[in-house]
Amino acid sequence: MKVGGQVDSVKVIPVKVPQVFPFPVQPAPQGWGLYLHIPFCERKCPYCDFNTYAGLEEMYERYVSALVKEIRRVGDVLGRPVVRTIFLGGGTPTVLSPQGLEALFRALNDAFAVQPNAEITCEANPGTVDRSRFQVLHELGVNRLSLGAQSFVSEELRFLGRIHDVRDIQQAVDAARSVGFENVNLDLIYGLPGQSPHAWRVSLQRALACQPTHISCYALTVEEKTSLARWVANGRVPPPDEDLQAELYMMAQDILEEAGYVHYEISNWARPGRMCQHNLIYWRNEPFLGLGAGAHACDLRRRWWLERAPHIYIRRVIGDETTVVGWEELSSQTAMAETMMLGLRLLQEGVSRSRFAKQFGVDPVVYYRSVVARLQAWGLLEVLPDRLRLTPRAYTVANRVFVEFL
Amino acid sequence: MNEDVLPVETTETRTSTFPQERIRNFCIIAHVDHGKSTLADRLLELTGTVDPREMQEQVLDSMDLERERGVTIKASPVRMIYRAPDGQTYELNLIDTPGHVDFTYEVSRALAACEGAILVVDASQGIEAQTLANLFMALEQDLEIIPVVNKIDLPAARPDEVAAEVAALLGVDEAEVIRISAKEGTNVEQVLAAVVERIPPPSGNPAGPLRALIFDSQYDPYKGVVASVRVVDGVLRMGALLRMMSTGADFEPVEIGIFAPDMRSTGVLGPGEVGYVATGLKSVRDARVGDTITEAAHPAPAPLPGYKRLKPMVFAGIYPVESDDYNALRDALEKLQLNDAALTFEPETSQALGFGFRAGFLGMFHMEIVQERLEREYGLDVLFTAPSVAYKVRTTTGEELTIHSPAQLPEPTRIEAILEPWVRLEIYTPVEYIGPMMDLVMKRRGIFKRQDYIDQRRVLLVYEIPLSEILVDFYNELKARSRGYASMDYEFLEYRPGDLVKLDILVAGQPVDALSVIVHRDDAYRKGQKLVSRMKDVIPRQLFDVAIQAAIGKKVISRATVKALRKDVLAKCYGGDVTRKRKLLEKQKRGKKRLKMVGHVEIPQEAFMSVLKLEEE
Repeated sequence: MKVGGQVDSVKVIPVKVPQVFPFPVQPAPQGWGLYLHIPFCERKCPYCDFNTYAGLEEMYERYVSALVKEIRRVGDVLGRPVVRTIFLGGGTPTVLSPQGLEALFRALNDAFAVQPNAEITCEANPGTVDRSRFQVLHELGVNRLSLGAQSFVSEELRFLGRIHDVRDIQQAVDAARSVGFENVNLDLIYGLPGQSPHAWRVSLQRALACQPTHISCYALTVEEKTSLARWVANGRVPPPDEDLQAELYMMAQDILEEAGYVHYEISNWARPGRMCQHNLIYWRNEPFLGLGAGAHACDLRRRWWLERAPHIYIRRVIGDETTVVGWEELSSQTAMAETMMLGLRLLQEGVSRSRFAKQFGVDPVVYYRSVVARLQAWGLLEVLPDRLRLTPRAYTVANRVFVEFL
Repeated sequence: MNEDVLPVETTETRTSTFPQERIRNFCIIAHVDHGKSTLADRLLELTGTVDPREMQEQVLDSMDLERERGVTIKASPVRMIYRAPDGQTYELNLIDTPGHVDFTYEVSRALAACEGAILVVDASQGIEAQTLANLFMALEQDLEIIPVVNKIDLPAARPDEVAAEVAALLGVDEAEVIRISAKEGTNVEQVLAAVVERIPPPSGNPAGPLRALIFDSQYDPYKGVVASVRVVDGVLRMGALLRMMSTGADFEPVEIGIFAPDMRSTGVLGPGEVGYVATGLKSVRDARVGDTITEAAHPAPAPLPGYKRLKPMVFAGIYPVESDDYNALRDALEKLQLNDAALTFEPETSQALGFGFRAGFLGMFHMEIVQERLEREYGLDVLFTAPSVAYKVRTTTGEELTIHSPAQLPEPTRIEAILEPWVRLEIYTPVEYIGPMMDLVMKRRGIFKRQDYIDQRRVLLVYEIPLSEILVDFYNELKARSRGYASMDYEFLEYRPGDLVKLDILVAGQPVDALSVIVHRDDAYRKGQKLVSRMKDVIPRQLFDVAIQAAIGKKVISRATVKALRKDVLAKCYGGDVTRKRKLLEKQKRGKKRLKMVGHVEIPQEAFMSVLKLEEE
């Protein structure tokens, strides 16, 4: 420490205080959503652009230790804050050992005030679970499973590079049920090159036969720098046909609604009362923390993100360095635009005008009056006494609505 | 700059000028890419005009655009001091000339400032039409020609053949043709020696009243218009009141000097010398290329011959993509005009596009340059409508109107006749491509006049053809059909009546005035169909079906539909995606900004230019 001429000033304590956040984090009085990222998979799927890696088995243990340390220090810095939901995603969290999972949950419960009724979700690959692993998760307090089923057609699963087969999905669902999971989501992907409406109907119906509480249907998207993008670029695979995707999407709407599921978000359907509470935090633009390599977080004043490479992430945690590698301060204008872009994804509840007004001091219908008028004239936006939401014809062209608010 | 290597110097206090017998004024005639700029660079290096360490390629092409496209747009002179093998020191003035058919007049004035020209021909390409056109222009003005075959280092070079061709063309001995590689520097000294030996010195009257030819002018915010001049008779010096002979406008020079190659004040330019006069005038319109400067106190009895005012040949609408940018666009055009005497513009209003300007250009290349400069130097998002020629309309009431845009065409019942500009077109081609050339020209209403064999392998084809037919894509087509070997030049002939009709394009039932074109009746149906299918390809899918129709008057001759957009939605947006997805959408929105809202339909710039592509395929 270099001290100037005057000695009477400040006492310097030569202790290295681990820096967790390079900026002050706003408290979340209603509680945080908490996302935990496990960046490992047994195999990388060709369409996936998530921050996840195959072949890093020997890193699992060190990663879990680092994540445990990160959980504890974040909980510490924020004063053991309230957590409303936990979402263990990836990657494939179920590749971790029971001991690893146990360590994570012990740390979570120590470091955070997890609400007793908190929704705790874990993602799972139907190819990597067995009854005992589900048993462990259930005992640790996980009360919702999200299974990456993707398709019930074998050739489609092969095209998607999945490690599981059709039979594994049903077995995974049965295993989950048998250890006590009631709340189960199935992810499906549609609009694969050459997929017939009939094949899509088969997947939907077989998914329904599993009686999940929640179904997510995602249009296959060619993300940059994926194997799929290379295949499309060099002509091995035709690009997804957007007209076909629109048609399949509408099929899903009909079939799932018929089966009693509520279409509550652009790509999500749920049994009444079974909407994903954690994801609702994102769409309602409420605060969430993200821990683990590449995770994102938001306290409404800024969005920040953590180091993506698992080995560097581990090194930073061990070295008592922050894992935050970037952030964006949110101007109120940006925050408002994001509230619209996210909230309008919620097809039933939309954006609450009163909540928006409370947060930003202005009714969105007033603030965005010319945009709202234009979108109404185009028949894409519905203005209700306390909400703004998409009209059904806007569901397939929602980007056209979102861009107007940016 | 190495002051010390310059034997005769040049400061503000210079009183004597270089003796005429040791001045050589010359230019370089070459086709695009034949190496004119590279040769000029070598000459500058050899004479020590530019320090090799400060050499950047193509010193004379000062605009970024020029360097990038490898085409000279402005005529820029440079003064070099050369100690010749005879031990004498010479002042060499190289005047670099514009290299595009749109700028033929500027070339003619630059040639008029010279006594000689270096003819550069690519050793693998041979002579091209435009070189030939400029060469003929130089010969008409009695310039001494030094033939040079360049790029002898290239594997595809056939220097002997090309040298023979050039010698035959000029009627000189093959030994006079100098073979060089400007790139490698091979034999470039021989070119300098030839300039001194073969090009005659200027022979103006040193005592006569001042006459200086303006061969270029550029606007400078501090000095006003800077005119590049060649003093023919008398002495140009500071302190004297000067006069533009075409307008009679008097001005006091702000600065007089030479290009070495940067502007250097000398206060005086003697007979035969090349340099500049900073006039303090506000626009290049006040110091037009071709005009003669004289002294107001002792004016010359007659100006130098050859002055003419340039007239734009091609017209297009220029509209800001964002209507808020209208004023910025006007300012930018005004600034460009300061430096571009041939650019004209006047306000124009389009029902579809709102407020903009109708601008006139020398040709398509000139238009592209203006477009690029507006976008690059002024950061404007602009939309150009399809270019049109100026038509003359005789009305039933006996009036004659000149119209610069299809939208200005009067009601059909008021039209007695529409006249369109015709040009004389020269195509220079190897004999094996005569067929394809004939076919190309005939398809575009060309009339064959004659063919001259230049030698056994090359032929000059002369046609008359409506200007509108060669405006768009003609040059590319000519190149494509001749594997790049044919080249062309043209000049305005006269206005002739034609069976012309206005073809309207309707988008979602509304006529879009900016998309109308005037076409020959025989072509209307075919062009209407092509235009509609082209529009269908370039108009992005909208939230609803969009009908596109082509019509003559009330009669629809072709139609197509752009089907409504089915899907535009991001499948996922979770916590970790928000920033990235928002940026994706922002990018999408910026893309939309480049679209012009016409009624409810978003139309991209390409659509307005699709009329340009009618002749493809």
